[in-house]
Amino acid sequence: MLTSSEVASKLSRFPNFEDTWLGLSYAPHMPKHMVKETREVIAIARKFNEEVATPLALKIDRLAHEDPDYQPWDLMEEVNRWGFYTMWIPKLFGGKGYNMPSMSCFSEEIASACVGIMNVIGVHYLAVAGLISSGNTRLAKKILREVVEGERSGKPCTLVLATTEPGAGTDVEEVDLVDKGKVTCQAKQVKGGYIVNGTKVFISMGHVSSWTVLYAYEDTKHPSETTIGFVVKTGTKGFSFGSHENKMGQKVCPASVLIFEDCFIPDDQVLFSSALVKKFTNKPARDISQRYCDYVVSATRPGVCAFGIGVARGAFETALNYASTTCVNGRLLINQEWAQCMLAEMHKNVILGRLAYTEANNANSHRGLYRMLQIKPVYYYLKAMPRFWFDKVISPMLNWELTARVMGKILFDVPKPEDQRCCSGWASVAKITGTDLGVKNCQMAIEIMGQKGLRQDAGVEKMLRDIKLLQIYEGTNQLNRLNAFKCLIAPQVPQARVFED
Amino acid sequence: MLISYRNDLKPIADLAQSFAARELAGKTEEHDRYPFGEFYDHVLDKAHEVGFLGAILPDSLGGIGGDIGTLCVILQNICQVDGSLGGIIFTNALSQEIMLTAGATDLAGEIFPKATSPKEFLVAFPSYTDPAQTDTLPKAVGSGRNFTLTGRLEFLVMGNLARQAIIPARTGNGPSYSFFLVDVSANGVEKSDPIFSLGLHACPAVDITLQNVRARLVGNENGGHAVFEKASLKMNVAAAAMNAGIMKGSFNEALAYSRERFQGGRAIANWSELSMVLAGMSIKADVAEMCIAQACLGLAKSLDGGGSQYISSSIHIHELACEAVNDGIQILGGYGYMKDYGQEKRFRDSRMVQTLLGPAPMKKLAMIRRIVETGAKNI
Repeated sequence: MLTSSEVASKLSRFPNFEDTWLGLSYAPHMPKHMVKETREVIAIARKFNEEVATPLALKIDRLAHEDPDYQPWDLMEEVNRWGFYTMWIPKLFGGKGYNMPSMSCFSEEIASACVGIMNVIGVHYLAVAGLISSGNTRLAKKILREVVEGERSGKPCTLVLATTEPGAGTDVEEVDLVDKGKVTCQAKQVKGGYIVNGTKVFISMGHVSSWTVLYAYEDTKHPSETTIGFVVKTGTKGFSFGSHENKMGQKVCPASVLIFEDCFIPDDQVLFSSALVKKFTNKPARDISQRYCDYVVSATRPGVCAFGIGVARGAFETALNYASTTCVNGRLLINQEWAQCMLAEMHKNVILGRLAYTEANNANSHRGLYRMLQIKPVYYYLKAMPRFWFDKVISPMLNWELTARVMGKILFDVPKPEDQRCCSGWASVAKITGTDLGVKNCQMAIEIMGQKGLRQDAGVEKMLRDIKLLQIYEGTNQLNRLNAFKCLIAPQVPQARVFED
Repeated sequence: MLISYRNDLKPIADLAQSFAARELAGKTEEHDRYPFGEFYDHVLDKAHEVGFLGAILPDSLGGIGGDIGTLCVILQNICQVDGSLGGIIFTNALSQEIMLTAGATDLAGEIFPKATSPKEFLVAFPSYTDPAQTDTLPKAVGSGRNFTLTGRLEFLVMGNLARQAIIPARTGNGPSYSFFLVDVSANGVEKSDPIFSLGLHACPAVDITLQNVRARLVGNENGGHAVFEKASLKMNVAAAAMNAGIMKGSFNEALAYSRERFQGGRAIANWSELSMVLAGMSIKADVAEMCIAQACLGLAKSLDGGGSQYISSSIHIHELACEAVNDGIQILGGYGYMKDYGQEKRFRDSRMVQTLLGPAPMKKLAMIRRIVETGAKNI
């Protein structure tokens, strides 16, 4: 048998045990109650699909084709009524505090009915991730409490995150690229705040959101060192919406152009900046920007995988239903071997994709953004304490400068680079896997269904239109492959350089 | 590619290219809004005027007397810009080919030479299916050449544009079927609204229900399958030409964009990963053009043994196209997903074109079954 040092030595070789068998490493640490909670979340999602998403999916898609200016106000109110905009907001900030990985399971369920409707929910959480991972507890509390109040009053308060610019898509996803790119959204410091000028494009749900988490640059020639985040309320002077972008799919979820023209944003709405960062770390601003960006995409890309796998499942289930009820050449398709094998392949794709987002979530749970909330004592403490405890005792503490410093330290100073790489790399692997398999399943479903699959009223052609967007947003799959290489492979090869081709 | 072998096709290729540039380029998004926007009747009128709707129809029957090569160069050039008009040209050619193959030149003579408008010149056809594989065809009752049809037929392409349609229907309980010419403006024909489909929006289709509708037999009773098999050999190559054109259009747009779009301080054409994607698209487009050229030459010379190769080429080109148009969007990123560019439409259209003449798996199965049963490569 091997000695413990020999075991450690063998396991540290590529592929490193810790970076590879994530579920095994995390399993003993996972609070058991998360399973019960996740079962509940899936059941709620299925009920929502039966009552809301499935009946509306094709109807809204058609409506949005008839009226290119369609906005999903009614649907948002319904989502708000179901409580989905606060479900994954931590209890510290007034939300329901469901565990974050359960959102991927929820996403798969809703996306199996309509990924556009899931985006109406999910885009909000992309911004929530941007808000929380900034470490700015005061602003996070202020905004998220408004979301909670919106649920109580029946008037949805939702958030969006704005990064993409007309000349910079891939560039703004990677600190290594942004300095070479052409970012133009500039924040100039003035007395009491900043004046922002610039344009953001492809911002899902922009027109209908209440708050925008906006990223700009104090020096557009050195953006990686001068990234600055703001929260901007819709209706702020100098902040307007441009055209409603005309997309191929996900028509229920509008994509907007956001225009900032001499928009004054006061200092107390600065979410993240190099000046704030210096209060709790000596690390270079560039490294902090990368870490912040990694936190957001590490949390959200597994979600995009779940979106993709939801669509993959929707396509599989639609094709299965068709094959079970349609005769070709005098025999039910379901009894023809070629169709059975295609259906088995589609089912396999769903299973593989689900494993991918589960492992990426395990990385975040064990070594990333979710860790703090899922350490057993913290998790059970948050579950057990009554709401008034958070509202009356914890909530005021979130305004303290000290709290922000501690959070900043925990988020940006303490974590190890290898943990960051593991989470970011796995998030990219999951994103590529789920979205590519989703596209594949939609294509296979159309092949099985022939001309029936080409009709909008059969459902699967909409899935193909919808899923294609997932290979593009949250970083194109090409960028995610490079990120997966950078995070999971390049560290083993000293001479490897990424983004220096 | 084909015109480098056949100079005689250059004028028609130039005509199709200039027609696409003049009538279609820059307007595809507007045309694609149908059925939620206006139909482009004026473009169809012009396509009729220049003879695109009768590419393979003999002069004596009101066509321009071209062959499969003529049809393919028209489709390739038109579909580079807009697949929808290609779908109309294809479907009309398919109806004409069915009539000619069935020997129904008398019926063709009643329609095409006398037509004064596209509506009269167009003959609708259920282009997305192989009727033999469809278990639910309308029933035909009658004798001689005169029948009445009753039943439902889905996805009749141009059913709302054309006066006439070729409808497959069964006279008995067996799998055999026959083709019939039906006036779809007659009493007893009920049409749905235009089908909202994945792509080729401006090549519309409807579902129709027939109730004792007068129909004339095209060719022989129960001879539908043999006619379709023979006609589809040629028309599969035409469908592949459509996707070859779509693929070429996608590559051209991706290449142009990648030279102008900078990320990370470089034109994205200079990112080696994207260069690989572009190279893949270019290879697929070139292979498709070569296959189309060879298939057209083989068909024109009626070469023995080419049957399965024509079908194989067609199936392969469709698969290449569906991959290439996906990459075509990817190169443009978010812009590729927007209707302001042509890539998202090509992504949708290519799947529609792949399904012309039946679903891809069924085409593969039918092809290999024939080879297994006959032991011959000449289908």
